[in-house]
Amino acid sequence: MDVKKLKSRLASVTAVLYPLLFGVVLIALWQSQILHKLLNTTTLILPLPTRILSVIKDNLPAIAADTWATVSVILPGLVLGSIIGYLLAVFATNSPRFGATGLTIIAAISAIPTVALAAVILQWTRDVSTDVDVRSYVMKLIIVTVVSVASMTLNAYRGLTELKPFALDLMKSYAAGKMTVLLKLRMPNSLPYIFTSLKVSVPACVIAALVSEYFAEKITGVGRRIRECILQAQYSTAWAYIVTACVIGIVLFAVLMASEKVVMRRRNS
Amino acid sequence: MKVLKRIINSKYFMVVLWTVLIVTIWEIFAFIVQYTKRTPVNVLPHLSGILESILSTKTINGSQTALQMVLVNAGATLSRAGIGFLIGTALGFVLALLMNLSGTVEKVAFPYLMLIQMIPVLGMAPIILALTGDIGTSRTVIAAILTFYPVATNTLAGFKGVQKEKHELMYSYAASKFQVYVKTLIPACLPSFFTGMKIAAPMAVTASILVDTLQGGIGLGCLLSQSLKGAMTRYVFWQIVLLSAIVGILSFVLIGAIEKKVCPYNQKTKG
Amino acid sequence: MLSMVDMRTDVEIMLKDIGMTYKTSTNTDVTALTNVTMNIHKGEFVSLLGPSGCGKTTLLRIIADLLTPTVGEISVGGESPREARLKRKYGIVFQGAVLYDWRTVKKNVMLPLEIMHLPKKDCEERADKMLEMVGLKDFAKHYPRQLSGGMQQRVGIARALAIQPEILLMDEPFSALDEFTREKLHEDLLRIWRKTNKTIVFVTHNIQESVFLSDRVCVLSPHPGRISALIDIDLPRPRTVEIKSTPEFTGYVAQIRSSFEGI
Repeated sequence: MDVKKLKSRLASVTAVLYPLLFGVVLIALWQSQILHKLLNTTTLILPLPTRILSVIKDNLPAIAADTWATVSVILPGLVLGSIIGYLLAVFATNSPRFGATGLTIIAAISAIPTVALAAVILQWTRDVSTDVDVRSYVMKLIIVTVVSVASMTLNAYRGLTELKPFALDLMKSYAAGKMTVLLKLRMPNSLPYIFTSLKVSVPACVIAALVSEYFAEKITGVGRRIRECILQAQYSTAWAYIVTACVIGIVLFAVLMASEKVVMRRRNS
Repeated sequence: MKVLKRIINSKYFMVVLWTVLIVTIWEIFAFIVQYTKRTPVNVLPHLSGILESILSTKTINGSQTALQMVLVNAGATLSRAGIGFLIGTALGFVLALLMNLSGTVEKVAFPYLMLIQMIPVLGMAPIILALTGDIGTSRTVIAAILTFYPVATNTLAGFKGVQKEKHELMYSYAASKFQVYVKTLIPACLPSFFTGMKIAAPMAVTASILVDTLQGGIGLGCLLSQSLKGAMTRYVFWQIVLLSAIVGILSFVLIGAIEKKVCPYNQKTKG
Repeated sequence: MLSMVDMRTDVEIMLKDIGMTYKTSTNTDVTALTNVTMNIHKGEFVSLLGPSGCGKTTLLRIIADLLTPTVGEISVGGESPREARLKRKYGIVFQGAVLYDWRTVKKNVMLPLEIMHLPKKDCEERADKMLEMVGLKDFAKHYPRQLSGGMQQRVGIARALAIQPEILLMDEPFSALDEFTREKLHEDLLRIWRKTNKTIVFVTHNIQESVFLSDRVCVLSPHPGRISALIDIDLPRPRTVEIKSTPEFTGYVAQIRSSFEGI
């Protein structure tokens, strides 16, 4: 066994071991209440990990219902927003001068804080339906959709326009029309950029969904529960929902990474 | 004709066109709303109405005009957001530096840096308020957390993206580690560093306003919820929306301007 | 077999039985270089010529102390490459100019001098002198992105010369330039070389380029990388473009080309 091989194996082991060790130490500090002393807080506000886990176990049906309420907003909103964003990018590609400036406007709009957006959308959806459930859902859906549009438009536009050198000339030499160029060249070229955009918009959508729940009329969803539980001083339950929110974020991101791997591998092989 | 062509081809023409377009669309809907809704100001007021409320000298709570009130509260919220943003930026930069200096630090921190990107930190705003107990502190803390990771990841990517040849060049000059950082790595990572700040700025604003809505007292968020509940004129609400939008966009523009000042070489001025 | 006894006393770079093996990801050994033995003399212009995969860049990097050979001996001015590097004996020019976007042309040239902690005035004076030598005096305040590829490469050369190295190591410095710019830079390089009297090791895959510039061409062949011929170029100096149409020049080109046959 030579030294080089041993070293590289050691490196890959420590890459997993070190962060794991850090996590274990952190949880140990938490469970042993040393963390509470450091943060100058009590087990009431920062319950022990074991306590949080037992709350999750006891309230599983309720948590599952709220998780569904949140995810059922995130996913359709994400899909809808991404499709709209992509179409806007296609539009901008086809009319470069007008469209490119429009992109700047979209970038500026995406800098508008979600809170302001949520408050306005709440106003606009008041008369959508007499049913509170529908009203709240539509409001949350619109917010998540709007949040995911900008990132898709900006990234997809790059994907549709940053072509390999001479690729466009090749297409021209085939006397290909605008539509053919779009379908055969631009759209396939934009595929990796779609994933780049989703990596930004998936976490952003999760946050947007949680924030929109704060403003919605109907009290439901993981984000809203965190707030309500805190207001009622039920800190353990709030923490249970925080853990749930983290899990939602991580799972969605993991699914995205996995699908990127599958799609890109198929494309590259 | 020539003059017209010059105007149409000018850089600002499209920006003006878009602005006019957006204002027109807003106003069209405002008119529709005006004649179809019972309380149009709740849904979509005319821009002139908002402007009027901004310029109005009528006091709304005995001592302050609407604008004064919004600005005072904005000061409380945004100053804390700004401090948090600066702290987060500094911490993010230092962490990226440490990660680049030490393989061990990188190994420990990198998975968590990835993880924190997937976690909806904003959803944790209420608990941070509960932990710190003070609304001002929690505004700062949450703005710092939200700023911290985009700055750290982007700066690290900037460090890693430095050409291999530049490292070799420094090596051939027998440059010290300190010199390598000061002369090569830190200047090279600046564009990515600014990108991180641009991503973080609107999030920091959102975060601090959101924290406000969780508690009474002073702050843009409190004012926002009060106005929504009908405790004061609805125009306060629209002023806040406008203000936060402007602050969000302005922070983006401002960072861009600082970047241009610090790294003028990024501008393509061929010729 | 290459066995030669070097009687000259002015040896700058001594390479003896240099060999280099890499381990690939599949854990198989790849021999990049084997049995490289040659001496490079003070003030000599030597080209390392060969197709890709022949190890010419590897050899340059070994001299530059960017790589350590797995076997063999190397000395630079009687010292190890590491000592030579620490004494800043090397000026390196890469294929791309590798300029610093955020520094002006002059500041780029001053960079290595700043690292050597030279007084600011000296830095500026020397940078001005170097820029004048490469004909870029008027562009001192420009940023690299405002320059053409050929001009950028000139800045790279000025920067390499600024530290007054004893040896100039050039890794395909002109391969990305068009033919006209390249010819101009060839003449400039020879002029600078004559003026400064540096030892130059020049990596290239262009036969004409190596013949035009060098005192000696070291032909390398791949699989495994090794020296297949060492050819002295006895063309009169100073050389100009016209020399390329002489029978002597074309003779050398043909000789080198034939040494590649069967590879």
